[in-house]
Amino acid sequence: MEREHLKLVIVGHVDHGKSTLIGRLFYDTDSLPREKLEEVRQICEALGRELEFAFVMDHLEEERSQGITIDTAQTFFKTAKRDYVIIDAPGHREFTKNMITGASQAEAAILIVDVSEGVQEQTRRHAYILSMLGLKQVIVVLNKMDLVGYSEEVFEKVRGHTLDFLKRIGINPTYVIPISAREGDNVASRSERMPWYTGPTILEALDTFKKTERRDGGPLRFAVQDVYNIEGKRIIVGRVEAGTLRRGDEIVILPTGERTRVKSIEEFMREGVEEAPPGKSTGITLEDKLFVDRGQILCRLEEETPKMVSEVKGSIFWMSSEPLQVGESVIFKCSTQEAPCRVEAIERRIDSSTLEVIEESSSRLENREVGEVTLSFASPVIVEDFNVTPELGRFVIEKEGNISGGGIITRLEG
Amino acid sequence: MDHLDELESRSIYIIREAYRQFKDIAALWSIGKDSTTLVWLIRKAFYGKVPFPVVHIDTSYKFKEIYAFREKWAKEWNLKLIVGRNEEAIKAGMGPERGKLQCCTALKTDALKMTIDKYGFKALLLGIRRDEHGIRAKERYFSPRNREFQWNYKDQPPELWDQYKTKQEGEEHIRVHPLLHWTELDIWNYIKREGIPVVELYFAKGGRRYRSIGCEPCCSPIPSDADTIDKIVEELKTTKISERSGRAQDKERAYMMQKLRALGYM
Amino acid sequence: MITVIAIDALEYTLVEEFNMRNLKQDYYGRTDISEFSEPRTMVLWSSFMTGENREAEILAKGDKEMWNTRIPHEETFFSHFKNPFVLDLPGYNYDLEQHRRERELLKEFFEEKDEERKREVRRKYNENAFAHHRRVKERFFEALEGDYDFVLGYFSVADVIGHLNFGNRSLMKMIYRDLDDIVSRVEGKKIVLSDHGMKAVGAFGDHSDYGFWSTNFRDLGRPRITDFKRIVLQEALGE
Repeated sequence: MEREHLKLVIVGHVDHGKSTLIGRLFYDTDSLPREKLEEVRQICEALGRELEFAFVMDHLEEERSQGITIDTAQTFFKTAKRDYVIIDAPGHREFTKNMITGASQAEAAILIVDVSEGVQEQTRRHAYILSMLGLKQVIVVLNKMDLVGYSEEVFEKVRGHTLDFLKRIGINPTYVIPISAREGDNVASRSERMPWYTGPTILEALDTFKKTERRDGGPLRFAVQDVYNIEGKRIIVGRVEAGTLRRGDEIVILPTGERTRVKSIEEFMREGVEEAPPGKSTGITLEDKLFVDRGQILCRLEEETPKMVSEVKGSIFWMSSEPLQVGESVIFKCSTQEAPCRVEAIERRIDSSTLEVIEESSSRLENREVGEVTLSFASPVIVEDFNVTPELGRFVIEKEGNISGGGIITRLEG
Repeated sequence: MDHLDELESRSIYIIREAYRQFKDIAALWSIGKDSTTLVWLIRKAFYGKVPFPVVHIDTSYKFKEIYAFREKWAKEWNLKLIVGRNEEAIKAGMGPERGKLQCCTALKTDALKMTIDKYGFKALLLGIRRDEHGIRAKERYFSPRNREFQWNYKDQPPELWDQYKTKQEGEEHIRVHPLLHWTELDIWNYIKREGIPVVELYFAKGGRRYRSIGCEPCCSPIPSDADTIDKIVEELKTTKISERSGRAQDKERAYMMQKLRALGYM
Repeated sequence: MITVIAIDALEYTLVEEFNMRNLKQDYYGRTDISEFSEPRTMVLWSSFMTGENREAEILAKGDKEMWNTRIPHEETFFSHFKNPFVLDLPGYNYDLEQHRRERELLKEFFEEKDEERKREVRRKYNENAFAHHRRVKERFFEALEGDYDFVLGYFSVADVIGHLNFGNRSLMKMIYRDLDDIVSRVEGKKIVLSDHGMKAVGAFGDHSDYGFWSTNFRDLGRPRITDFKRIVLQEALGE
């Protein structure tokens, strides 16, 4: 029986203890190669230092990047319930783009905050990004409880501040846990030094999370990627973004509105495929010869369809040193759609490190800023509420060939 | 969908995205397990009709089993096979005894450059995995390279929600990594499920097997009794032994001695 | 009061890559040692302490005798201080026996043919260097508590370990972290200075042809190693 994998990202301000926590999770779940640990211990001893988990992680990282390590267990730590794959997300400001790349693949997140420092610049930015990515399974850990004498009072105070701030950006963490990654309190085992805390440890909390699945019931969304001619067959390839595609389904093609029926589901070396689940990259043939092309969305007839709009409002996180400017043309990419659009307005400009409004109604959006933006299209795009079908409710902006911003749609306009 | 289905679907999506953007594309096939899995996925993506060439960079030092495997399956799968060789360097006697680095540069990197130039490829599909390259999130599915194959990993655009960058001027070619999210264990599990053929060197014979295969002089087998995929998977699950490859460092040593003498150390 | 943390073979590009913030301090960069024919440790430190290029004189001693160089106190800029403390600096007062032992093991390593015994020599070599490093660290921190008007600590660990292990990045990173911590524990004006850096030759390390400097008081641009006499005296004594 194959074990379940859950992709986890750990984010937070630099020096708030991310590496130490990762090291601790690996260590306490017995996922670290013993001999590596021994090697690091010896060098630490030779240097006259205490063993630090951050060193162990560096060591593994280095060996791996040199292609020396043959152990595959290392990107995982295991609990009785499942395997966790840690997607690393660098804490430094310069690496925001890497952080987003990592976090966008995660199914759950741990936001780590140094209890003696509280919420800092990167805490705010990373939290904002989690919110933009729509991550709902979030654990906040208040780390370095050992430095504040495991004080319930300090914990409660910082917890209050942190929750207030998270509420503002629409994150409601499932758990807030007092820990010491260095000492191992409340990571894998319950801390005896904090009897006042009665909630779960990190591992217990993680095990309550669910794998995020694409919606398999409800309206079908099949995004067309390309059309291939294979031995006289015209196969429309793409991905089932939501719902389940079935042979014989009566479908409507957006934006043309033409209707037909799914004649077959085509998979290499498989005959008589009846259905394709959400997330599946597959191909289909249609009953009728219709014009089908990349960027179109196939939906089931008589189900609710997404909206076709010529203007959207979105909340964008900008991540390029080239600013986004009102009046310029950029490329809007959503699922397989790529549409030129014009930046009509930037209604609000927010500093992602303080989450303070810099300017209402601005002419530009700079690197690492968040903006409420209005985009207009010459021909309509197919979009949907982010909370219903995230795949059609989120988009990226490409400027000069590079992905420069990511956002979610906040309002659809006809 | 189970774990392997998810991995497969994601890879196929990326392969199709790459082909949609670049018609001048090729896949690099080292004949190892990862790139053979990649070729398998490409066949699936295009219903058995691989629409672009598959490139094998041949150093002339590969295991004979690799050549045999290449010929057999290139034919079976009807691949447009391009064999890239730096004939000049091979004729001039380049080999690992002249220094492993120099040898790799001439017979692999330069041979690849020549092949890219000759056919004008704008994108290459490669079977690298993130777990070979650290857990950091610096790798991308679409990764631009300049003329010197350099990669500016400090300032890459982000990648999210399956949206990938498009090629720019000044970027010589784009490397596409459809297997980035797979682990070594995933690869073996998938090979087993799909029945993908792999070179027999991976399986133990006389208590030894190769964990990775390439040029014969620079590969050494690891002690192992894993002579089936199941046993390999089991070995990978339980092993916590890591081993530096037993490659010869004689050249480097000689050079270092000479330098240390020059600096007065010896 | 000014403290110099002299680190043999501290490599600029590694400090950057590992982002060692204490080693970098507020201002940092490379030193220019292009006036020397080879980046030799003894030549560079001798030139540093005297403020003049001493290459010809040191080389004239020959490879063996070179290591026994002892520059008289009055020829060094240390003599401008009333109560200086200089710890283990080559060409001045370093532990000859310790460094002779290092070179001996290094030679033994390269001459050994048997892989098993080679590993053993490497282990002995590393252990010897680390043990020395621990002792130097201890004495350095003691000195910082003392009543000195100038303290210079010389740390050889990055060079010694680097020659046989520079390709082992995680080991190097741990050493750089340790050096980074050492710098963080020094108060007041400080200079971090290396004679030369290091570049990888496979698993080994060769000297690179620039050094590293950093300060917490001003930008030095691209100084030569002989400029530090003037810089230190100016900053410490206003000379």
